[in-house]
Amino acid sequence: MNASLRELIASKRLLVCVGSGGVGKTTMAATIGLRAAREGRKVLVLTIDPARRLANSLGLDSIGNVETQIDIGESQGELWAMMLDTKTTFDDLIQRSAPDDDTRNAILDNRIYQTLSAHFSGSQEYMAGEALYDVVESGRYELVVLDTPPAKNALDFLEASARLSKFLDPRVIGVFLAPPEDRRFLGRVVYGTSAVVFRLLSFVFGGEFLEDFTEFLRNFEPMYEGFRERHEAVSTLLRSPTTSFLMVCAPNEPSMEVARFFNDELQERGLSRGGVVVNQVLPCEGEALDPNALLGEAASSLQAEFEPGTSARILARLGAAHRRLRQHAHIERKLIDDIRSMMHGETNTLYEVPRLEGEVHDLGSLERAAALLFD
Amino acid sequence: MAFVDLIYGRLVMVTGKGGTGKSSVSAALGRLAAAQGRKTLVLEIDAQNPAMKAIYGVEPGYKPMEVAPNLYVANLHWLQNLSEWVSRVLPGGRVVRLVLGNPLIQSFLEVAPGNRETIALSKIGWLMEDFDLVVVDLAASGHALAMLEVPNTMVGLFPSGPIRKEGETALAMLQDSQSHLVLVGLPEDMVVNETIETFEAIREKVPGLSMDTILLNRSSVPSLTEEEHGFLAALSDGVKSPGAEELLWAGRWESQLEEATAEAEERLTQRLQARVIQIPRLSHDGGPQQLVHQIAAALVRASSARTGS
Repeated sequence: MNASLRELIASKRLLVCVGSGGVGKTTMAATIGLRAAREGRKVLVLTIDPARRLANSLGLDSIGNVETQIDIGESQGELWAMMLDTKTTFDDLIQRSAPDDDTRNAILDNRIYQTLSAHFSGSQEYMAGEALYDVVESGRYELVVLDTPPAKNALDFLEASARLSKFLDPRVIGVFLAPPEDRRFLGRVVYGTSAVVFRLLSFVFGGEFLEDFTEFLRNFEPMYEGFRERHEAVSTLLRSPTTSFLMVCAPNEPSMEVARFFNDELQERGLSRGGVVVNQVLPCEGEALDPNALLGEAASSLQAEFEPGTSARILARLGAAHRRLRQHAHIERKLIDDIRSMMHGETNTLYEVPRLEGEVHDLGSLERAAALLFD
Repeated sequence: MAFVDLIYGRLVMVTGKGGTGKSSVSAALGRLAAAQGRKTLVLEIDAQNPAMKAIYGVEPGYKPMEVAPNLYVANLHWLQNLSEWVSRVLPGGRVVRLVLGNPLIQSFLEVAPGNRETIALSKIGWLMEDFDLVVVDLAASGHALAMLEVPNTMVGLFPSGPIRKEGETALAMLQDSQSHLVLVGLPEDMVVNETIETFEAIREKVPGLSMDTILLNRSSVPSLTEEEHGFLAALSDGVKSPGAEELLWAGRWESQLEEATAEAEERLTQRLQARVIQIPRLSHDGGPQQLVHQIAAALVRASSARTGS
């Protein structure tokens, strides 16, 4: 039925799931990964969501910063999963790219490095690009499914590589690393005011900090080129024809709003939109149903074993619950129609997944979700 | 202290997993405070898609804008925030022009992680001078935690200079007894897991921040007896027609929501020793503003029920 979605998991090398929190984005990423593995591909599901719920949805207690194979039983393909730990990824990167032991240790011991790598929110997005690049370029996987952080930060992820490579502009770094005399000269050539700027920075951030910072940059210098190259490669990767973005949302106004927002942003950036997955849709045909007509007979045959009046109370309750269900479903239907019109008639790229009973946190329920999404 | 009494404090920050209803809760707290005659600001931080726009129908700008008597909304756009920060923290117009006009400094400030957070926290402090209460609709829990950690980190990282001073001020603001953090969760397993994780992480990494309440949004009150559950289960066995199946699904769905609420409340109170306040599942029929009114009313009811008992 959903041929274009099948086509996507068969042909792409990178699928990026974006959307607001709480819509089952991580579950959808795992579902897509599982189905692609069932179809015979070697798949990695990578999450950079700091909330780390990929393990939950795969029925595991934890998955670390290393690629972990998930036991999916008899299958031609393979399913792997990985949750990004910023600090460890940063450290790994330094271990691999430092030219010698002294430089490596100097960086790992630097106060600024330690703070940058462990504490600040922006580093998650920087490192996401690094991790993504590593796994895609390693060639170990035929398909990588990326689960991004909730809405407001997913765009930071798209921009992180651009921001970092702007910062690593040799002209910018040069100002910090050149000896003071040269700095003045270089400053005149480049910006005309660099000596003043340096003094100013030292006033704002404190002299000691700026010394630490310069020290940090000096140790980093031999690695700049590699960083810049990788970040440009990440940017190319996201624009590649083998990459596609899937917007995941639930049928409620805030999450649909976020999907609209992403749709515009992706379009503006010229990134490939693979479609919208509307998850958690209430299973309701919309018609009024009479509990007495449909269940009255079955209920009265049970009544003998229960307290008097139970049957009537339950039938009334079902009637009320169904009225509430219809109300909700009606609102959902309107919202889904809005999203459909946003897709400008590309209706074959809107996928509805009904709400499952119980929560998805084992392979069995992931399989059921995959059947609902793909079949 | 009854929960809603925190609207008589100076600062309320609201966070929780994405999609739990942080923004509606923030708006509801703002509404309650404004109704008490307190000049109140509901603030979003560099939201690309501000929630208050959907609720109040106006695009919140950098400058607070009155949307109802005593009630203001604003969205801290990063570059405007930076420009105000620089002109307040650094002396002299020439210096400010230099800082803002220089591509090197711009890219330094833009890229150095933690700067955005520091600058936003400074701005919250300044806004508190103009308002009786500031309600901050923070980012989702992971990123909110990263932001709340920043002042502590700043104080450790900068031995001197204006940034250190700003870090110290922000830390004092977070630790003030008039400042509160509220976590919003939902009665769903994964959300409860993340709520517990966030709560414990904040306790550990932002010591001194007052946080004792979890709002369990979209809760359902149990309404069936054991006997009735048994009946429903027996009725579900052997049902064939799609219509009957849909009716039973509706019934089971509501029962599941009720069970999940009870489980969530138990896990949260036992593990975190926190107060859990339920906000009932509400209809979205009347649109976002109506929903905010209903949440506000539910918070008042839940608070008075608690103090009464």
